[in-house]
Amino acid sequence: MILQLNNASRVINSGGKKIALLDNISLEVKEGEFISLMGPSGSGKSTLLNCIGMLDSFTEGNYRFLDEEVHTLKEKQRSKLYKEYIGFVFQAYHLIDELNVYENIETPLLYKSVKSSERKALVADMLDRFNIVGKKDLFPAQLSGGQQQLVGIARALITKPKLILADEPTGNLNSKQSTEIMELFSELNKEGVTIIQATHSEKNSSYGSRIINLLDGRIVTE
Amino acid sequence: MIRNYLKIAWRNLIKNKGITFINTIGLSLGIGCFILIALFVTDEVSYDQFHEKSDQIYRIHSDILFGGTQMHMAVTSDPMGATLKKDYPEVEEYTRIYASEGSKLIRKGTEIINEYAIAYVDSTFFNVFTFPALKGNPKIALQEPNTVVLSETAAIKYFGSVDNAMGEALEINSNGNTLHKVTAIIKDMPKNSHFQLDVLMPMANVNYDFGNYLSHNFHTYVVLKEGTDHTKFASNFQEILGKYLLPQMSQYMEIKSLEDIEAAGNKLEYSLIPLTDIHLHSSQSIELGANGSIKYVYIFSAVALFILLIACTNFMNLTTARSSVRAKEVGIRKVLGTEKKSLIFQFLSESTLIVTIAHAIAILFVFLSLDWFNNIAGKEISIKALLQPHFLIFLIVLPFVVGPIAGIYPAFFLSKFQPISVLKGNLAKGMNKNTLRNFLVIFQFTTSIILIIGTIVVYQQLKHIQTTDVGFNKDQVLIVENSNLSEETRKSLKSEIEQFPEVKSACFAGFIPVSASARSDTTFSTESVATSENGFNMQYWRTDYDYIETMGMEIVAGRNFSRSFGTDSTAIILNEKAVALTGFKDPIGKKLYKSTDSNQNIVYTIIGVVKNFNFESLRHDVGPLSLRLGNNSWRTAYRFNTADVEGFIGKIQGKYEATSTEMPFAYSFLDDSYLDMYQQEQRIGTIALIFTILAVIIAALGLFGLATYIAEQRTKEIGIRKVLGASTAIIVKILSKDFIKLIVFAFCIATPISWWFMSSWLRDFAFRIQLNWWVFAITGIITLLIAIITLSFQTIKAAIANPIKSLKTE
Repeated sequence: MILQLNNASRVINSGGKKIALLDNISLEVKEGEFISLMGPSGSGKSTLLNCIGMLDSFTEGNYRFLDEEVHTLKEKQRSKLYKEYIGFVFQAYHLIDELNVYENIETPLLYKSVKSSERKALVADMLDRFNIVGKKDLFPAQLSGGQQQLVGIARALITKPKLILADEPTGNLNSKQSTEIMELFSELNKEGVTIIQATHSEKNSSYGSRIINLLDGRIVTE
Repeated sequence: MIRNYLKIAWRNLIKNKGITFINTIGLSLGIGCFILIALFVTDEVSYDQFHEKSDQIYRIHSDILFGGTQMHMAVTSDPMGATLKKDYPEVEEYTRIYASEGSKLIRKGTEIINEYAIAYVDSTFFNVFTFPALKGNPKIALQEPNTVVLSETAAIKYFGSVDNAMGEALEINSNGNTLHKVTAIIKDMPKNSHFQLDVLMPMANVNYDFGNYLSHNFHTYVVLKEGTDHTKFASNFQEILGKYLLPQMSQYMEIKSLEDIEAAGNKLEYSLIPLTDIHLHSSQSIELGANGSIKYVYIFSAVALFILLIACTNFMNLTTARSSVRAKEVGIRKVLGTEKKSLIFQFLSESTLIVTIAHAIAILFVFLSLDWFNNIAGKEISIKALLQPHFLIFLIVLPFVVGPIAGIYPAFFLSKFQPISVLKGNLAKGMNKNTLRNFLVIFQFTTSIILIIGTIVVYQQLKHIQTTDVGFNKDQVLIVENSNLSEETRKSLKSEIEQFPEVKSACFAGFIPVSASARSDTTFSTESVATSENGFNMQYWRTDYDYIETMGMEIVAGRNFSRSFGTDSTAIILNEKAVALTGFKDPIGKKLYKSTDSNQNIVYTIIGVVKNFNFESLRHDVGPLSLRLGNNSWRTAYRFNTADVEGFIGKIQGKYEATSTEMPFAYSFLDDSYLDMYQQEQRIGTIALIFTILAVIIAALGLFGLATYIAEQRTKEIGIRKVLGASTAIIVKILSKDFIKLIVFAFCIATPISWWFMSSWLRDFAFRIQLNWWVFAITGIITLLIAIITLSFQTIKAAIANPIKSLKTE
């Protein structure tokens, strides 16, 4: 088991009213699962991903990640935890515009203080695997959306995370590019990477091993 | 890691050329000014530090209040040094400089040169001061009369080279033409010595009535034993007063004790000033050269610091203003696992990078502008000064101090962004209401306004100095030097030139009403027996019949000297200030008594009163003064009226050269000499003007950058307003309003501060302008105009943009 949520909620104050963005979510994710979160806009998919990714936090309930009680951890320890085990993929790719492909993929390794020679080897492997060796010196603005998302995924994978969180990873892509990305995800999943993706698309959700439907911050069906 | 940071920083700089340009130019100007002023300040505080005993050497100052006249002199009486050395074991050595005779004529082959850097010194001069020798042993070089020590420059000037000069004889017109044997040659005195002398003659050649404690004519320096407290030591002067001065005084006056002197409101005070304080802290009369002022060192240091801060402020404002651009990067980096600490470090290394680039440009800028700066600041700072070890360290450390100062606030500001909110695209809300940024803009403009007001006031005062009625007419008066001609020649030349049609009147004018000319003051009394009550000191000038007319002075009572009165040799004319001191209601016809050495009085009759005229700089009030007939023919003054001034001077020069081909023809204009008294103020004015312009440019650049950002940030709002029907004018107003408010606020802060500063600056002048409200009003308007023009580039652009475009980006 990679993570477990127990009656986890996220409640915020907005104009004096309490609004529950996530309401009593209980969820267990096993290693090797490929989960698709579905639901209309505002149903809480992104918030749930952010909270699981520890970029945001639950205000109530328990969150257990790899035997750590996340809700009791300090900011620093949390950041250490997700740095180690979680990779993020975004709808808008979020590459650093000023860095080229090679440097974007390398950046997470810098923060983990990986040695220079090892970094070179790891980035080279990744470029090879995604067939983007020829593009390593290009900047994000010179790439198509699909290529940018490939770089984004390569960057998420470079630290060998146990869990990939993908928020609408194909939202900005055309159908051909979408299919390629989703196939890449299921390949990764077969290699043992746990994936949670948020998506609108029925087609994309079918790649997953399990679908969770959200509405107004609650899990409605599974 | 740091390479990654610098890479990003570099690419950001390249990508945003406009902002980079503003930042770099602003910072390089700021740092450049800072370095220039640091050079200036370093030079100012380095004066006289090069002497081996610099911390043991003190100069004796005499502060005398006598008969209502105050005198603060850099000189003391001739026996003072020797007396101190004889009576007090703390005094290791003393030496004197006697420069009261001014310039001397020196022969070089057939040519005669007027040498100004010349003085008589004691043979102990080189025991006290450290000036390395090139030839001979200076320490024993001046023990005999008719010897001379030359500087390298003087040796080359008179003999062609150092080798040729040594042992040769130099003909100097010093109390008769005498040959002086060159017994030593020293390296030129460093520029940061408070006196600059090239020719040193022995004290034995001075023709002076030595042993007089009451005449103050010698610059006297003493070396105190290490560890002596000079302020404590100065209390010994009281003892000297009683032991040596009192007996001499009671010969001339009815004084029995020191208390008698003080009881009459008179004062004699002697003090010691450390050698290294002279340049910046001493402003006595009869200095050996123009000194600096600690006040200007402080003012310029503050200006340098403020300009640098204004430039740093630009960087802070522009960087935080552009944070929307960097926010995404911050978000991604945080998601990828970076910590706040390393983000702060990243941004600090970025600011240090840009500061380092600006620093390099600034050093280039210093290289290029140093000559020009030396020129306006009246300095001779060499570019080598930059390479002195301590300055080099300062230069290397500077970017690593300025970089973090400029970067620390943006670094904290940027690194605190929350990743999810910025990645979602909502930037931190309420960024328009950034109090710190407003504060920084206010700071920039407050400083700029203070500088503008300061500059205007300095210029007004300079203008006032040039145009104020000083009691004489300084325009169109030519002063010709006669000192090397015989009395007969002087007279015949004067009467010949007086016939020129250009000449309106002419007189001999040894004493002229600008400082740094001859002066003489003496004690007078209103009764035949002088007491400390009826005695007073005043200037005592020898003039001739035409002096008052030629100088354009005004007789307010009585009459001028006249050739038709045979008795005018004992006549005296007082100025209004002197009349006030005598206490006479109707001074004409009253008698004044001047005591002499032989205890006999000379009796003068007051025949006229001349309107007060400024004979010292306008910093000082007009002192008491008297004019009498007497020999003063070492200069002639001509009041002329011609458009062809050069031709007129040529004609006079022809006359002079016809009498003596070897004498240099030297002349000056009275109005130029008058302005020379205010050289320091003129320099301050120029420097202040330049730095003010720079400060305003930097602040305006910053405002421009900020306006760019605000307009960008409010694109959507502007679009919506325009769609709803707002006109361009309204949009411009909306965008400018907040800035204008800040500038008005800055004006309110700057006004009292600059009022206070400038009134205390003006207090140095006995004759000064009033601070006018309109100076402040004009400054306010100028600043607002600069701001509005700067803002208009961006606001108008934003206001006329097509709203469809800005709204489509949503």
